[in-house]
Amino acid sequence: MAKILKNMKTKIALLILFISGNLFAQEQKMTDAEIAAFKQDVNVVSKKIKTLSTDFVQYKHMDFLSKDIETSGKMIFKEPNLLQWQYKKPYNYSIVFKNGKILINDEGKKSAVDIGNSKIFGRINKLIVGSVSGNMFDDKEFAISYFKSKGQNLAKFIPKDATLKKYIKQIELTFDKEATVVQVKLLESSDDYTRIVFKNKVINAKIDDSVFTN
Amino acid sequence: MQKSTIPFLLINCFLAIVLVSCGSVTKNYTPKKLDKTAVEVPYFSEPKTDYVYKTNISVYGHEMSGIFIAKKINDTTHRVVFTTEFGNKLFDFEISETTFKVNSIVSELDKKILINTLKEDFRLLLKKEYLIQEQFENESDNIYKSADGNRDNYLFVSKKDQKLEKLVRSSKTKEKITITFTLENDIFAKKIVILHQNIKLKIELNYFKSE
Repeated sequence: MAKILKNMKTKIALLILFISGNLFAQEQKMTDAEIAAFKQDVNVVSKKIKTLSTDFVQYKHMDFLSKDIETSGKMIFKEPNLLQWQYKKPYNYSIVFKNGKILINDEGKKSAVDIGNSKIFGRINKLIVGSVSGNMFDDKEFAISYFKSKGQNLAKFIPKDATLKKYIKQIELTFDKEATVVQVKLLESSDDYTRIVFKNKVINAKIDDSVFTN
Repeated sequence: MQKSTIPFLLINCFLAIVLVSCGSVTKNYTPKKLDKTAVEVPYFSEPKTDYVYKTNISVYGHEMSGIFIAKKINDTTHRVVFTTEFGNKLFDFEISETTFKVNSIVSELDKKILINTLKEDFRLLLKKEYLIQEQFENESDNIYKSADGNRDNYLFVSKKDQKLEKLVRSSKTKEKITITFTLENDIFAKKIVILHQNIKLKIELNYFKSE
Protein backbone atom coordinates (compact mmCIF):
# COMPACT_ATOMS: atom_id res chain seq x y z
CA MET A 1 0.00 0.00 0.00
CA ALA A 2 2.73 2.40 1.05
CA LYS A 3 4.61 1.54 -2.11
CA ILE A 4 1.59 2.27 -4.30
CA LEU A 5 1.10 5.61 -2.53
CA LYS A 6 4.74 6.49 -3.01
CA ASN A 7 4.45 5.58 -6.65
CA MET A 8 1.36 7.75 -7.02
CA LYS A 9 3.15 10.63 -5.35
CA THR A 10 6.01 10.35 -7.83
CA LYS A 11 3.54 10.26 -10.72
CA ILE A 12 1.69 13.33 -9.44
CA ALA A 13 4.95 15.17 -8.91
CA LEU A 14 6.01 14.33 -12.44
CA LEU A 15 2.64 15.41 -13.77
CA ILE A 16 2.89 18.75 -11.96
CA LEU A 17 6.40 19.20 -13.25
CA PHE A 18 5.24 18.42 -16.76
CA ILE A 19 2.29 20.85 -16.60
CA SER A 20 4.26 23.69 -15.07
CA GLY A 21 7.14 23.04 -17.46
CA ASN A 22 4.64 23.33 -20.25
CA LEU A 23 3.30 26.60 -18.86
CA PHE A 24 6.77 28.07 -18.72
CA ALA A 25 7.41 26.92 -22.25
CA GLN A 26 4.29 28.77 -23.40
CA GLU A 27 5.75 32.13 -22.44
CA GLN A 28 8.31 32.84 -25.14
CA LYS A 29 10.52 35.85 -25.57
CA MET A 30 9.73 37.91 -28.66
CA THR A 31 12.37 38.51 -31.28
CA ASP A 32 13.43 42.09 -32.03
CA ALA A 33 11.37 42.06 -35.22
CA GLU A 34 8.31 40.79 -33.32
CA ILE A 35 8.78 43.50 -30.70
CA ALA A 36 8.89 46.22 -33.35
CA ALA A 37 5.77 44.87 -35.09
CA PHE A 38 3.91 44.47 -31.80
CA LYS A 39 4.72 48.02 -30.61
CA GLN A 40 3.65 49.34 -33.97
CA ASP A 41 0.28 47.52 -33.70
CA VAL A 42 -0.35 48.77 -30.18
CA ASN A 43 0.52 52.34 -31.13
CA VAL A 44 -1.83 52.28 -34.11
CA VAL A 45 -4.68 50.91 -32.00
CA SER A 46 -4.13 53.19 -29.03
CA LYS A 47 -3.94 56.24 -31.30
CA LYS A 48 -7.38 55.33 -32.64
CA ILE A 49 -8.87 55.20 -29.15
CA LYS A 50 -10.88 58.35 -28.47
CA THR A 51 -13.13 56.75 -25.89
CA LEU A 52 -13.12 53.38 -24.24
CA SER A 53 -15.48 51.71 -21.81
CA THR A 54 -15.10 48.27 -20.38
CA ASP A 55 -16.26 46.03 -17.56
CA PHE A 56 -13.57 44.75 -15.28
CA VAL A 57 -13.02 42.17 -12.57
CA GLN A 58 -10.26 42.79 -10.05
CA TYR A 59 -8.59 39.94 -8.17
CA LYS A 60 -6.45 40.86 -5.20
CA HIS A 61 -4.12 37.97 -4.50
CA MET A 62 -2.24 37.68 -1.24
CA ASP A 63 -0.44 34.46 -0.47
CA PHE A 64 -1.77 34.19 3.09
CA LEU A 65 -5.44 34.41 2.07
CA SER A 66 -7.63 31.37 1.32
CA LYS A 67 -8.94 33.04 -1.82
CA ASP A 68 -8.49 36.19 -3.89
CA ILE A 69 -10.57 39.23 -3.00
CA GLU A 70 -12.82 39.84 -5.99
CA THR A 71 -14.37 43.19 -6.86
CA SER A 72 -15.84 44.35 -10.15
CA GLY A 73 -17.25 47.30 -12.03
CA LYS A 74 -16.86 49.53 -15.05
CA MET A 75 -14.10 51.72 -16.41
CA ILE A 76 -14.63 54.63 -18.78
CA PHE A 77 -11.86 56.58 -20.51
CA LYS A 78 -12.05 59.58 -22.77
CA GLU A 79 -9.16 61.25 -24.49
CA PRO A 80 -6.90 62.88 -23.49
CA ASN A 81 -7.15 62.14 -19.77
CA LEU A 82 -10.65 61.75 -18.40
CA LEU A 83 -10.95 58.53 -16.48
CA GLN A 84 -13.61 56.98 -14.31
CA TRP A 85 -13.00 53.82 -12.35
CA GLN A 86 -16.21 52.54 -10.84
CA TYR A 87 -16.58 49.58 -8.50
CA LYS A 88 -20.13 48.25 -8.40
CA LYS A 89 -19.73 44.96 -6.58
CA PRO A 90 -19.67 44.20 -3.74
CA TYR A 91 -19.70 47.90 -2.90
CA ASN A 92 -20.17 51.20 -4.74
CA TYR A 93 -16.97 53.18 -5.01
CA SER A 94 -16.15 55.47 -7.87
CA ILE A 95 -13.04 57.47 -8.59
CA VAL A 96 -12.69 60.08 -11.35
CA PHE A 97 -9.41 61.51 -12.63
CA LYS A 98 -10.11 64.90 -14.17
CA ASN A 99 -8.12 68.12 -14.67
CA GLY A 100 -5.51 67.31 -12.06
CA LYS A 101 -8.14 66.29 -9.52
CA ILE A 102 -9.29 63.01 -8.08
CA LEU A 103 -13.00 62.92 -7.26
CA ILE A 104 -14.17 60.11 -5.03
CA ASN A 105 -17.68 58.89 -4.37
CA ASP A 106 -17.64 56.25 -1.65
CA GLU A 107 -21.17 54.87 -1.18
CA GLY A 108 -22.50 58.42 -1.59
CA LYS A 109 -19.80 60.03 0.53
CA LYS A 110 -17.98 62.48 -1.72
CA SER A 111 -14.48 63.90 -1.52
CA ALA A 112 -11.86 65.48 -3.79
CA VAL A 113 -8.08 65.42 -3.84
CA ASP A 114 -6.03 67.93 -5.75
CA ILE A 115 -3.27 66.09 -7.54
CA GLY A 116 -2.13 69.02 -9.64
CA ASN A 117 1.21 69.11 -7.88
CA SER A 118 1.45 65.58 -6.59
CA LYS A 119 4.10 63.84 -8.66
CA ILE A 120 3.28 60.33 -7.60
CA PHE A 121 -0.44 60.70 -8.33
CA GLY A 122 0.34 62.25 -11.68
CA ARG A 123 2.40 59.22 -12.46
CA ILE A 124 -0.30 56.83 -11.29
CA ASN A 125 -2.83 58.65 -13.50
CA LYS A 126 -0.54 58.28 -16.50
CA LEU A 127 0.04 54.68 -15.60
CA ILE A 128 -3.66 53.80 -15.43
CA VAL A 129 -4.45 55.50 -18.74
CA GLY A 130 -1.36 53.88 -20.24
CA SER A 131 -2.30 50.43 -18.96
CA VAL A 132 -5.80 50.63 -20.33
CA SER A 133 -4.87 52.01 -23.74
CA GLY A 134 -1.70 49.92 -23.85
CA ASN A 135 0.49 52.83 -24.76
CA MET A 136 3.11 52.99 -22.05
CA PHE A 137 6.21 51.88 -23.90
CA ASP A 138 8.37 54.52 -22.30
CA ASP A 139 11.92 53.20 -21.99
CA LYS A 140 12.89 56.11 -19.76
CA GLU A 141 10.31 55.11 -17.14
CA PHE A 142 10.47 51.33 -17.44
CA ALA A 143 12.70 48.43 -18.30
CA ILE A 144 10.41 46.57 -20.71
CA SER A 145 10.47 42.97 -21.86
CA TYR A 146 8.17 41.27 -24.40
CA PHE A 147 6.72 37.77 -24.55
CA LYS A 148 4.33 35.63 -26.55
CA SER A 149 1.96 33.30 -24.73
CA LYS A 150 -1.04 31.28 -25.94
CA GLY A 151 -1.70 33.52 -28.93
CA GLN A 152 -1.54 36.62 -26.73
CA ASN A 153 1.22 39.15 -26.27
CA LEU A 154 2.65 40.09 -22.94
CA ALA A 155 4.68 43.15 -21.98
CA LYS A 156 6.41 43.39 -18.60
CA PHE A 157 7.34 46.78 -17.21
CA ILE A 158 9.78 47.25 -14.35
CA PRO A 159 9.72 50.83 -12.99
CA LYS A 160 13.02 52.71 -12.99
CA ASP A 161 11.87 55.37 -10.58
CA ALA A 162 12.79 54.50 -6.98
CA THR A 163 9.56 55.90 -5.46
CA LEU A 164 7.32 54.05 -7.86
CA LYS A 165 9.39 50.90 -7.42
CA LYS A 166 8.58 50.90 -3.71
CA TYR A 167 4.90 50.31 -4.54
CA ILE A 168 5.07 48.39 -7.79
CA LYS A 169 7.67 45.76 -8.55
CA GLN A 170 6.36 45.01 -12.01
CA ILE A 171 3.40 45.70 -14.27
CA GLU A 172 2.31 43.07 -16.77
CA LEU A 173 -0.01 43.94 -19.65
CA THR A 174 -1.62 41.17 -21.66
CA PHE A 175 -2.83 42.05 -25.17
CA ASP A 176 -5.29 40.17 -27.36
CA LYS A 177 -4.89 39.70 -31.12
CA GLU A 178 -6.43 43.12 -31.74
CA ALA A 179 -3.57 44.66 -29.75
CA THR A 180 -5.84 45.91 -26.97
CA VAL A 181 -5.20 45.27 -23.28
CA VAL A 182 -7.19 42.40 -21.78
CA GLN A 183 -5.42 42.08 -18.46
CA VAL A 184 -3.31 44.20 -16.13
CA LYS A 185 -1.28 42.58 -13.39
CA LEU A 186 0.40 44.74 -10.78
CA LEU A 187 3.02 42.92 -8.76
CA GLU A 188 3.96 44.34 -5.39
CA SER A 189 7.41 44.09 -3.91
CA SER A 190 6.37 40.85 -2.25
CA ASP A 191 4.74 38.03 -4.22
CA ASP A 192 1.31 39.53 -3.87
CA TYR A 193 -0.43 41.07 -6.83
CA THR A 194 -3.57 42.73 -8.20
CA ARG A 195 -4.92 41.26 -11.42
CA ILE A 196 -7.51 43.18 -13.42
CA VAL A 197 -9.32 41.48 -16.29
CA PHE A 198 -11.19 43.59 -18.86
CA LYS A 199 -14.21 42.33 -20.77
CA ASN A 200 -17.02 43.73 -22.94
CA LYS A 201 -14.74 46.44 -24.24
CA VAL A 202 -16.37 49.17 -26.36
CA ILE A 203 -14.12 51.50 -28.33
CA ASN A 204 -15.07 54.97 -29.57
CA ALA A 205 -18.70 55.01 -28.52
CA LYS A 206 -19.93 58.55 -27.85
CA ILE A 207 -19.25 59.42 -24.21
CA ASP A 208 -20.29 62.76 -22.79
CA ASP A 209 -17.94 64.70 -20.50
CA SER A 210 -20.70 64.83 -17.91
CA VAL A 211 -20.08 61.13 -17.26
CA PHE A 212 -16.91 62.13 -15.46
CA THR A 213 -18.54 63.65 -12.42
CA ASN A 214 -18.85 62.03 -9.06
CA MET B 1 -9.43 88.20 52.67
CA GLN B 2 -12.49 88.60 50.53
CA LYS B 3 -10.27 88.73 47.45
CA SER B 4 -8.47 85.48 48.06
CA THR B 5 -11.52 83.34 48.98
CA ILE B 6 -13.23 83.77 45.63
CA PRO B 7 -10.46 82.16 43.57
CA PHE B 8 -10.15 79.49 46.22
CA LEU B 9 -13.86 78.72 46.02
CA LEU B 10 -13.67 78.71 42.25
CA ILE B 11 -10.83 76.24 42.31
CA ASN B 12 -12.78 74.10 44.75
CA CYS B 13 -15.83 74.09 42.51
CA PHE B 14 -13.69 73.31 39.53
CA LEU B 15 -12.01 70.44 41.35
CA ALA B 16 -15.37 69.10 42.47
CA ILE B 17 -16.65 69.11 38.89
CA VAL B 18 -13.50 67.46 37.60
CA LEU B 19 -13.59 64.78 40.28
CA VAL B 20 -17.25 63.98 39.66
CA SER B 21 -16.83 63.79 35.91
CA CYS B 22 -13.70 61.70 36.28
CA GLY B 23 -15.48 59.06 38.33
CA SER B 24 -14.86 55.44 37.47
CA VAL B 25 -16.17 54.07 34.20
CA THR B 26 -18.31 51.65 36.14
CA LYS B 27 -20.07 54.19 38.33
CA ASN B 28 -23.42 53.64 36.62
CA TYR B 29 -23.24 49.88 36.90
CA THR B 30 -24.11 47.55 39.72
CA PRO B 31 -21.39 45.17 40.96
CA LYS B 32 -22.29 41.52 40.69
CA LYS B 33 -20.80 38.15 41.65
CA LEU B 34 -18.53 36.71 38.94
CA ASP B 35 -20.35 34.17 36.78
CA LYS B 36 -17.29 33.33 34.65
CA THR B 37 -13.54 33.86 34.71
CA ALA B 38 -13.01 34.38 30.97
CA VAL B 39 -14.89 35.80 27.99
CA GLU B 40 -14.23 34.37 24.53
CA VAL B 41 -14.32 36.62 21.47
CA PRO B 42 -14.93 34.55 18.34
CA TYR B 43 -15.10 37.31 15.72
CA PHE B 44 -11.58 36.88 14.29
CA SER B 45 -10.65 33.46 15.62
CA GLU B 46 -11.37 31.08 12.71
CA PRO B 47 -8.09 30.24 10.93
CA LYS B 48 -9.85 29.26 7.69
CA THR B 49 -11.67 32.56 7.29
CA ASP B 50 -10.41 35.60 5.39
CA TYR B 51 -11.91 38.50 7.32
CA VAL B 52 -12.38 41.20 4.68
CA TYR B 53 -13.97 44.56 5.47
CA LYS B 54 -14.55 47.74 3.48
CA THR B 55 -13.13 50.37 5.76
CA ASN B 56 -13.58 54.06 6.40
CA ILE B 57 -11.14 55.88 8.62
CA SER B 58 -11.84 59.36 9.85
CA VAL B 59 -8.86 61.02 11.52
CA TYR B 60 -8.97 64.66 12.61
CA GLY B 61 -11.45 65.49 9.87
CA HIS B 62 -9.58 63.62 7.14
CA GLU B 63 -11.37 60.76 5.46
CA MET B 64 -9.64 57.68 4.16
CA SER B 65 -11.05 54.47 2.80
CA GLY B 66 -9.77 51.07 1.81
CA ILE B 67 -9.98 47.38 2.54
CA PHE B 68 -9.11 45.83 5.89
CA ILE B 69 -8.06 42.20 5.85
CA ALA B 70 -7.34 40.08 8.91
CA LYS B 71 -6.43 36.43 9.03
CA LYS B 72 -5.29 34.14 11.79
CA ILE B 73 -2.02 32.66 10.56
CA ASN B 74 -1.13 30.55 13.62
CA ASP B 75 -2.25 29.96 17.24
CA THR B 76 -1.09 33.33 18.47
CA THR B 77 -0.74 35.61 15.47
CA HIS B 78 -2.92 37.50 12.99
CA ARG B 79 -1.84 39.03 9.72
CA VAL B 80 -3.50 42.44 9.29
CA VAL B 81 -3.36 44.20 5.93
CA PHE B 82 -4.92 47.46 4.79
CA THR B 83 -5.11 48.18 1.06
CA THR B 84 -6.67 50.83 -1.16
CA GLU B 85 -9.70 49.85 -3.25
CA PHE B 86 -7.27 49.32 -6.15
CA GLY B 87 -5.43 46.75 -4.10
CA ASN B 88 -2.15 48.45 -3.22
CA LYS B 89 -1.06 47.71 0.31
CA LEU B 90 -0.89 50.64 2.70
CA PHE B 91 0.29 48.58 5.62
CA ASP B 92 0.90 44.93 6.43
CA PHE B 93 1.36 43.84 10.06
CA GLU B 94 1.80 40.61 11.96
CA ILE B 95 0.40 40.95 15.42
CA SER B 96 -0.01 38.81 18.53
CA GLU B 97 -0.58 39.71 22.19
CA THR B 98 3.14 39.96 22.78
CA THR B 99 4.74 40.45 19.37
CA PHE B 100 4.39 42.95 16.57
CA LYS B 101 6.02 43.03 13.16
CA VAL B 102 5.66 45.56 10.36
CA ASN B 103 5.97 43.69 7.06
CA SER B 104 5.46 46.89 5.09
CA ILE B 105 4.00 50.36 5.40
CA VAL B 106 3.83 53.24 2.90
CA SER B 107 6.00 56.20 3.90
CA GLU B 108 2.97 58.53 4.28
CA LEU B 109 1.68 56.36 7.15
CA ASP B 110 5.03 55.41 8.63
CA LYS B 111 4.62 57.40 11.86
CA LYS B 112 5.37 55.85 15.22
CA ILE B 113 2.35 57.36 16.96
CA LEU B 114 0.00 56.07 14.25
CA ILE B 115 1.51 52.59 14.25
CA ASN B 116 1.29 52.37 18.05
CA THR B 117 -2.35 53.47 17.96
CA LEU B 118 -3.23 50.88 15.33
CA LYS B 119 -1.29 48.23 17.23
CA GLU B 120 -3.32 48.88 20.39
CA ASP B 121 -6.60 48.93 18.42
CA PHE B 122 -5.92 45.70 16.56
CA ARG B 123 -4.70 43.85 19.67
CA LEU B 124 -7.98 44.77 21.31
CA LEU B 125 -10.00 43.79 18.25
CA LEU B 126 -8.26 40.45 17.59
CA LYS B 127 -7.79 39.19 21.16
CA LYS B 128 -9.49 35.84 21.51
CA GLU B 129 -9.94 35.55 25.24
CA TYR B 130 -10.18 38.08 28.05
CA LEU B 131 -9.57 36.96 31.66
CA ILE B 132 -12.14 38.48 34.00
CA GLN B 133 -11.59 39.85 37.52
CA GLU B 134 -14.78 41.76 38.24
CA GLN B 135 -18.33 41.83 37.02
CA PHE B 136 -21.06 44.45 36.84
CA GLU B 137 -24.43 44.77 35.22
CA ASN B 138 -26.83 47.31 33.87
CA GLU B 139 -30.31 46.79 32.50
CA SER B 140 -29.29 45.19 29.22
CA ASP B 141 -25.75 43.85 29.70
CA ASN B 142 -23.42 41.90 31.90
CA ILE B 143 -20.21 43.88 32.08
CA TYR B 144 -16.93 42.04 32.61
CA LYS B 145 -13.78 43.81 33.70
CA SER B 146 -10.45 42.54 32.46
CA ALA B 147 -7.29 44.22 33.73
CA ASP B 148 -4.55 44.91 31.21
CA GLY B 149 -1.51 46.70 32.67
CA ASN B 150 -2.49 50.27 33.50
CA ARG B 151 -5.65 49.92 31.44
CA ASP B 152 -8.92 48.09 32.05
CA ASN B 153 -11.02 46.48 29.37
CA TYR B 154 -14.76 46.23 29.86
CA LEU B 155 -16.70 43.68 27.86
CA PHE B 156 -20.42 44.29 27.42
CA VAL B 157 -22.24 41.01 26.89
CA SER B 158 -25.95 41.31 26.18
CA LYS B 159 -28.21 39.54 28.68
CA LYS B 160 -30.69 38.76 25.93
CA ASP B 161 -28.52 36.55 23.72
CA GLN B 162 -25.15 36.37 25.53
CA LYS B 163 -23.21 38.13 22.75
CA LEU B 164 -20.31 40.52 23.11
CA GLU B 165 -21.60 43.76 21.62
CA LYS B 166 -19.24 46.35 23.01
CA LEU B 167 -15.70 46.58 24.31
CA VAL B 168 -14.44 49.59 26.22
CA ARG B 169 -10.79 50.21 27.01
CA SER B 170 -10.23 52.76 29.71
CA SER B 171 -7.75 54.22 32.12
CA LYS B 172 -8.73 54.24 35.80
CA THR B 173 -10.86 57.30 35.16
CA LYS B 174 -11.64 57.71 31.46
CA GLU B 175 -12.83 55.75 28.47
CA LYS B 176 -10.15 55.68 25.76
CA ILE B 177 -11.36 53.32 23.04
CA THR B 178 -14.79 51.86 22.34
CA ILE B 179 -15.37 49.02 19.92
CA THR B 180 -18.94 48.15 18.96
CA PHE B 181 -19.91 44.98 17.12
CA THR B 182 -22.99 44.50 14.95
CA LEU B 183 -23.42 40.79 14.51
CA GLU B 184 -24.23 38.71 11.46
CA ASN B 185 -24.36 35.55 13.57
CA ASP B 186 -22.83 34.09 16.75
CA ILE B 187 -19.27 34.09 15.49
CA PHE B 188 -19.22 36.86 12.92
CA ALA B 189 -19.47 40.64 13.05
CA LYS B 190 -20.77 42.35 9.91
CA LYS B 191 -20.01 45.81 11.20
CA ILE B 192 -17.39 47.01 13.67
CA VAL B 193 -16.73 50.56 14.81
CA ILE B 194 -13.55 51.49 16.66
CA LEU B 195 -13.95 54.89 18.25
CA HIS B 196 -11.26 56.78 20.13
CA GLN B 197 -12.37 59.14 22.88
CA ASN B 198 -9.08 60.96 23.48
CA ILE B 199 -8.10 61.53 19.84
CA LYS B 200 -10.33 62.23 16.86
CA LEU B 201 -10.08 58.82 15.28
CA LYS B 202 -12.87 56.55 14.11
CA ILE B 203 -12.44 53.33 12.15
CA GLU B 204 -15.53 51.75 10.63
CA LEU B 205 -15.40 48.23 9.19
CA ASN B 206 -18.17 46.82 6.99
CA TYR B 207 -17.90 43.18 5.97
CA PHE B 208 -18.23 42.41 2.28
CA LYS B 209 -18.66 39.12 0.55
CA SER B 210 -16.24 38.77 -2.31
CA GLU B 211 -18.03 37.88 -5.58
